[in-house]
Parts: sequence; C-alpha cells; structure tokens
Amino acid sequence: MIWNESKECMSRDELHNLQSARLKKTVNHVYHNVEFYRKKMQQMGLEPGDINGIEDLHKLPFTTKDDLRDNYPFGLFAVPQSQVVRIHASSGTTGKATVVGYTRRDIEIWQECVTRVLAMAGIGPNDKIQVAYGYGLFTGGLGLHYGAENLGATVVPMSTGNTQRLITMMEDFEVTAIACTPSYLLHIIEVLEEAGKIDRVKLKAAICGAEPWTENMRKEIESKLGLNAYDIYGLSEILGPGVAADCDVHNGLHVYEDHFLPEIVNPDTLEPCKEGETGELVITTLTKEALPLLRYRTKDLTSISYDPCPCGRTMARISKFKGRSDDMLIIRGVNVFPSQVEAALLEMGETSPHYIMIVDRVNNLDVLEVQVEVEERFFSDEIKELEKLNKKISSVLQSALGLSVKVTLVEPKTIARSEGKAKRVIDKRKLI
Amino acid sequence: MIKQLSIFIQNEVGSVASITAVLKKHNINLRAIATFDTPQFAILRMIVDQPEKAKTLLIESGFAVTMSDAIAVELEDKPGVLHDVLQLIADAGIGINYIYSIVFRQKNVPLIIINTDNLDKTKQILIEKGYSVPDQEDVYL
Repeated sequence: MIWNESKECMSRDELHNLQSARLKKTVNHVYHNVEFYRKKMQQMGLEPGDINGIEDLHKLPFTTKDDLRDNYPFGLFAVPQSQVVRIHASSGTTGKATVVGYTRRDIEIWQECVTRVLAMAGIGPNDKIQVAYGYGLFTGGLGLHYGAENLGATVVPMSTGNTQRLITMMEDFEVTAIACTPSYLLHIIEVLEEAGKIDRVKLKAAICGAEPWTENMRKEIESKLGLNAYDIYGLSEILGPGVAADCDVHNGLHVYEDHFLPEIVNPDTLEPCKEGETGELVITTLTKEALPLLRYRTKDLTSISYDPCPCGRTMARISKFKGRSDDMLIIRGVNVFPSQVEAALLEMGETSPHYIMIVDRVNNLDVLEVQVEVEERFFSDEIKELEKLNKKISSVLQSALGLSVKVTLVEPKTIARSEGKAKRVIDKRKLI
Repeated sequence: MIKQLSIFIQNEVGSVASITAVLKKHNINLRAIATFDTPQFAILRMIVDQPEKAKTLLIESGFAVTMSDAIAVELEDKPGVLHDVLQLIADAGIGINYIYSIVFRQKNVPLIIINTDNLDKTKQILIEKGYSVPDQEDVYL
C-alpha cells in the first residue's frame, strides 16, 4: 500500500513548490545557525535571499564527509543540544567517527520515511517483523525499528549475531517480514536449509539494504524464501535507512523527495549529469532540523529518472548503485575505508604501514583479511611473539573498524608498491 | 654461545628456496637449518659460517632477519644423552624454546642447538655437568 499518498503521489509541480519552500527554509536555518555554512556562503558572496527555489540549488556549496569530520563532533549541528534527542555515529575515515544528531521532529520524519518503505513492501499491522540490523550507534537497527512500530507491525528486535535464535523465533513466532543486509539474509537461508526449516518459513517480505546487492541476489532470496525482497537505501549523514527504496516494480528506488532533494553530478567536474546519466548522488536535506546538510556528496554512483512509475508514486527513482566514487568498502554492512586500516597500523607502531585488504564472501558472509608486512625492526625471533603481534594487530583493527579481521603476516616488501596511489584492496566478492 | 639467524617466511611454496638462493649466490655455508612453522608463517633458523654478512645480504634481499644467541651442546652418540641434557635444564626450572641439530660437524659427535628462556644459566649448568658447549668459532670451522 501507499502509506502517504498525498506526498508520495503528489504532482511534480506541487512537489517542486514544496521543495523550493523547504529549501529556502533550510538555507535560512543553516545560514543563521551553522557557522560553517554561514562562512562558506559569505565566502561565495551568497545570502539566503539569493536562493529563491530549487532552480538556485546549484549556487549552494557542497558538503563532504571531511566537513563532518573537521567539525567533529557537533560543529554542524543547527540546534542547541537541548533539542537533540538522539545521536548516531558511524566509523570515520581516519579513526574519528561521523556523528549525526536528530531532534524529536527529525526522528518523526525518519520513522515516517521508513514506514513508507515498509508499507511499499506490503507490510502492515498484521505482520511480525524481525529487525536483524545492528542496534546501537549504527542507524540500521533503530531506524527500521521505529518505522515498523510507527506502521503498527509487531517488531522483534533481533539485532545481529545469533542466527540460530533468529531462525527459531522466525518459526515459532510465525514471522512474516525481515529487515537485514542482503548478504546476511543469504546466510540465514543457508542456516534454514541446513536445519531443514526453509519450508516452514512464513516470510512474505524482506527489506534489505546497507550494502550493494544485485538483481540476481534479489531473485535468489525471493525464490528460496518465496517472498518479495525490497531494496532500502540510506546514509546516516542524511537520515539513516529510509532515504529511498524500491517498489513492487523493482525498477529503481523512489527517493522521498519531499524530504531529500537529489542531484546527480559528475564526481570530477561536479557539473550536473543529464537525466539517466550515471554520476554521484548528491542530497540536500529539506526538513532536517538537527543536522541539515546542503548538497551532501554521498560518493554513491547512480542515475536518476523522473519518469512516472507504474506503481503510482511520482517520486523520482535512482537506479541500483553502480559503485562508489571513493574507496569506501561496505563489509557486512559496515563502511570501511582503507585509510582507517593505515591509520590504525601507524598508530600502533609495531608493524610496517604496508598492508593489503582482501575482501571475500565465504558462505555468504563477508570476510576481511588484512595482510601486513613484518618489518625488520619489529621481527622477533620467536613464534609466540609473532602470534602475539598478529593478535594485537587484529584486535587493534577490530576496534578501529568495528569488524572482525583476519590478519596475515607476510614477508617484507611482498606487498606491491605502485607508483602513485597504492592498490590497497582486493575485492573478491562476486555480486552476481 | 653461537650466533643464529632467524628469518620470517610465509608458509608458501618456494619460501625457503628463496633464502638458500641468496646464500648460494654469495657462497655462504650452512651449518644448521631448521624451520618452525604455524599454518600461516614460519621462522627459518640457521647457523652459517658468516652470520653478519648473511644477515646483511638477506635484509638487502627483502627478508626480515634477526640475529640471536643459542647454545650448542656436544653429545655422545648413544640413547638417552639428549634426555639427560633436557632433564638437567628442566630441573633448573628453565623452559626450552626450541631445539634443532647441526648439519655438519668436524668431530664425530652430534651437536644440538638449544634455545631457552635463560641462555646464560643454561650454559653454566651444562658446563658444570661436564658438557662441551662450543662457541661460535668451533662450530663454524
């Protein structure tokens, strides 16, 4: 069903007016409450009055993840702390977390967006949904949780980590929907098959996101579980899950344009791309109070279509993601930058900073191996010392990345030094 | 005491040969060699006639190398003699890290290389009990 027909199906003209009004309000809000934006706009000779509608969007400055990091933790917040009711955080590129905040109104809008996604997937008050994203600082768990409660569904807050308990409850509670990463769902399928329980599952919908997945993965999930699987997109800087999701037509993800204004730009020139052309997704928040962002560069590569969708929704659709314009990896739903590994190794100071990350998918679960060169000056004669070093590196990396890491010590100078930018990542995962 | 070289190697086909290649090229003679492996990596330990030179060459060739001390003990060639030495060390409360034996010897007696938690004390108790604990020069001949 369509949860909020008056918004999701509004005419493009009405939407245009709504977006323009909200953009003007947002620009005013950041100009007066966020020093970073005020200074930036002043340097560009720009005043809030210069922005009269979304036609003027291109005049506004871009925002990057670095800007968030440079203003760590709360420098870009536009409201006093007393109005912030929630903080989430994701690991940053060089150790510092990316911190985001929400007012009560922001949380309401977030749950409204997630509710739209769940309703679009045919979920309603008569459904029981297992939320198997991590709960905590990561936006996945709580984001889906609030949206599902708002919808009136019965939420089973599984979080991640105990698949046996998950499948037991799935059967005993007659769970009808699940929200988790697509690779975790593939793993759940395997566990169900091994336990001989796959035929007893009553699931009818799966909401999968937080990592890229392919049409073939969707088909495999759907055929094995006899359900419909939907793609949900989001990023904590903008909201968390619920920025966009796909409908029954499965031809792109509807962006909730009444709250998020999307643009596609060429990541090199930052010039706008034509409709249908692949570029970097840039989002301006239109209703966020605590952390409004102008033209935030998501680094996700996609294209956009404003064509009417057979489902009746008028909101623009972005295509399945085609990659990243930076070197970020998504491993088990966790965002990982190679620079985090480098920073952690350098800080630890007991190994060379020469490393290579090998990402693979074993039994449908992502595994990260980091090969580190043993340097002359840190090499001890004793195996137990080397094993201690190995354990230490893996625990340092685990705490830096929030992800378990297999560390392999390798001989000095065996990791290729390339001219210019070193190749730090081998991604063996086949997203077919 | 004698000088031994320890080299970090990956547990892969050809790893040891890549080290012996360096030694052969520079005419360095091996006296003892042993590997100690884990599933992932190994430490190759060896005693050579020119330890300093070998260390430099191997580092230049890109290996992680350390030089350390070990004890060489001469033993009679008959059953139980190694046990006597090990018992002596155990009774002194000293832990053994590893043992290997020499490839080439001039005298017709086995020569065992031992590394322990406490090399000086080990050497001392062995000498007290009348064992021959040759030094570097004796082994490299």
